[in-house]
Amino acid sequence: MLEIKGIRKTFNAGTVNEVRALQGVDLTIEEGSFVVVLGMNGSGKSTLLNAVAGSFYVDQGKISIAGKNVTKWPEHKRAQLIGRVFQNPFSGTAPDMSIAENFAMAAMRGKNRGLGWALSPKVTDALRERVVTLKMGLEDRIENAIGSLSGGQRQALTLLMATWLKPSLLLLDEHTAALDPKSAHQVITLTDEVVKRDKLTTLMVTHSMQQAVNLGDRIIMMNKGKIAYDFSGPEKKRLRTEDLLDCFEEIRRREQLDESTAAMLAEQYI
Amino acid sequence: MTLLLGSLTIGLILALLAMGVYVSFRIFDIPDITTDGSITLGAATAAILIVNGTHPVLATLAGAAAGAVAGTVTGILHTKFKINALLAGILVMTALYSVNLHVMGRSNVPLLQTENVTDYGADIGHAIVGSEDMDIFGWETDTADFFVMVLAAFFVAFVGALLYWFFRTNVGTAMRATGNNPQMIRALGANVERYVVFGLAVSNGLVALAGAILAQYQGFADAQMGIGMIVWGLASVIIGEALVGERSLGLTIIGAVMGSVLFRLLVAIALRWGLNPNDLKLITAVFVFAALVLPGFIKKLKPNKPAAS
Repeated sequence: MLEIKGIRKTFNAGTVNEVRALQGVDLTIEEGSFVVVLGMNGSGKSTLLNAVAGSFYVDQGKISIAGKNVTKWPEHKRAQLIGRVFQNPFSGTAPDMSIAENFAMAAMRGKNRGLGWALSPKVTDALRERVVTLKMGLEDRIENAIGSLSGGQRQALTLLMATWLKPSLLLLDEHTAALDPKSAHQVITLTDEVVKRDKLTTLMVTHSMQQAVNLGDRIIMMNKGKIAYDFSGPEKKRLRTEDLLDCFEEIRRREQLDESTAAMLAEQYI
Repeated sequence: MTLLLGSLTIGLILALLAMGVYVSFRIFDIPDITTDGSITLGAATAAILIVNGTHPVLATLAGAAAGAVAGTVTGILHTKFKINALLAGILVMTALYSVNLHVMGRSNVPLLQTENVTDYGADIGHAIVGSEDMDIFGWETDTADFFVMVLAAFFVAFVGALLYWFFRTNVGTAMRATGNNPQMIRALGANVERYVVFGLAVSNGLVALAGAILAQYQGFADAQMGIGMIVWGLASVIIGEALVGERSLGLTIIGAVMGSVLFRLLVAIALRWGLNPNDLKLITAVFVFAALVLPGFIKKLKPNKPAAS
């Protein structure tokens, strides 16, 4: 479903601010699988997601989604295959427009928007039906501006919008990180429900070990722009948060080792 | 009465400008200074075509189209060449000054001897009333003046309705989101850059349409007529929002029209009371400044008086 081959990306190449964000990532995700991406800050996990979404073009490598080579597709064109939820709850919705209008736009994701009336009864009826299932009491407020809602409500709506038309790939970029614990729980439960019900191929970045252990069928841990660990199948099922913490510790030690070896070698030979 | 009718008519014609500014400033969130050049471009294009014998309706449409082209250029400078929107507008406005002089061939084109679109209003009036003068609520009024105003009102209503319809369609709704949250609508598959170019074309097309009609109404096109028009448009939009609120699209479009007419009336009254016409632009600018700053200022003051409700 998603096929990434040897992608590399360097930001600000040739300057003091050079960041080698992706240094050769290979990743293949089967249809219907739910992959959780972990990693420390600056490990390149969000960059990986943005590369797939098309926020920038990669320097090298190839990205295919649903059999289509999208490496050179601009972001808005990839939207016909991808549904996205951002870390910032304000990013996924147009605040001054009503809930209904936001959904009317999501109902046309990646399609040719013509001169048809946006708020057709078909859209609003279907919308009300789905919003009721959120149990947030929003079904009576669909004419209200989305900006008047809380971050958790907006994030739940963004998730519904992103999956309104079944996407070939769902990208979740730390979409609960900016929410309070209760809202985060609500949104993550909803995520699990929606992904399971529609059997969505999903790539989720998170900082929460708990989420990584509870959700999905595969965990990828990134370090320095590469995939450091990849757990799937029964191995993933057995994984506990302690095991993940051990992995992080191992990465940290290996880095320290690098440094101390370098110091030792320097002492001996220079 | 003639003064009142004149102000109303000009207010209605400039309502087209206000709608154009509304599109760029409120819907796409870009203060587009191209406006100052494109209103003159519309006037110049229409005037020179009419003088050379083109049908006035065609000439007016050509004026609007020229404005749309100017807006497209600004849009391309902004989106393709990544120039700050304000600067892109300034560049095109400055360039248009020369373009306008070239279009007209001189700095002023008089239109008094030729037939133009305002004659349709006069013709309709004469056909309905049958005399040169008519009686409105006891006021002796020139038939032609009155019906030109009515025609302008109908035309503005038509354009406003068209605008409302467009921004409620699927593509129009996505365009409104472009100004509200570009990241979101791009993630939903909209080509934001293309929308911005289109929006600036529509905005400047409306502005130039206002210019084309204004030139025919006042009987001349002038290279200087565009100066400060963006501020005029902003003032109209802001007054409109004060009158009807900012929430609904339909109301804000109506508000922009009302704002334009009201502002024109206020100006006419102020001038009648002895305001120096030279101070007009200064006062307009101060007014817009106050309207932009006051809401935030009032909000800041409010927390100092807790539990006032």
